[in-house]
Amino acid sequence: MADIQPPAEEIRALVGYEFPGGKYTVAHWENFLLTECTGSEPLPDGLVHPVVLFHMPILGANTSIGGMFALGQAESDFSIGIESYDWEIERPLHEDVEYTVTGRVTEADRMEGPRRHDRPGVYDRIQFRFELHEPEGDFAASSTITWTYRRSAA
Amino acid sequence: MNVQVGDSIPDWVMESVRPERMRTMAAILRDPNPVHWDRKAVAALPFGLGERTINQGPLGLSYMLNMLMDWAGPTSVRRVTVRFPKVVLDGDHVTASGKVTAIREEDGVRLADCDIWLSREGESPSLEGTATVALPES
Repeated sequence: MADIQPPAEEIRALVGYEFPGGKYTVAHWENFLLTECTGSEPLPDGLVHPVVLFHMPILGANTSIGGMFALGQAESDFSIGIESYDWEIERPLHEDVEYTVTGRVTEADRMEGPRRHDRPGVYDRIQFRFELHEPEGDFAASSTITWTYRRSAA
Repeated sequence: MNVQVGDSIPDWVMESVRPERMRTMAAILRDPNPVHWDRKAVAALPFGLGERTINQGPLGLSYMLNMLMDWAGPTSVRRVTVRFPKVVLDGDHVTASGKVTAIREEDGVRLADCDIWLSREGESPSLEGTATVALPES
């Protein structure tokens, strides 16, 4: 993790960065455990619980939560905040279907906000967009993740 | 399905947010952040949260998805956009709620736009946002 505040130009230059991309298939066991974590019964007909739209695009694009922290030069795991998640579902996702996943950085900027606890109000706002396509190429779903990376030094 | 603007969506209740589910979720997500599985790491933060792990944002969001799917069906959710004003902690009793704000038709499908939120009893929402749901025909 970064121990100094990165230049704002480095953060802004992340716009357009593309993850390697790849494929992801949700197995029954993964969907079962995931759905159980939500407090729901398994969905019918091999439907994947839509909460999968957080981690499946990330892992399918061949990155990771830790990798996204590192890309934004996070000071620590604790310096990350969630601004918003925006998930679109064009076609419900199913177990045992191999989805093609792409992902990129769509917005990145240095921001200033009010002081929060013992930290100055400087943070970087980074938005990631991932898209999932079915094997035949049809768009299935997207996930837009907007995180804040708090910076401890001005 | 007879739905009107202003209708409330039946609440979905998580009686107690369980830390073991956060641990399973952290493993599935490959999420390295210890705030989801190490109570002492949370207690050491300068946020006054005590020794309680912080629920993953997507898990809180999933309670609202469960509310929408219980109401309109398992393939009904078309879009959710959610912000996270406050954290949800292990042991919290939280309720997912929603209200229909608009009904429209798109490509022959009846859609309901909704405000949705997740909150502890008597408190302002921990999560809040909007959803679009395809309404079943009958």
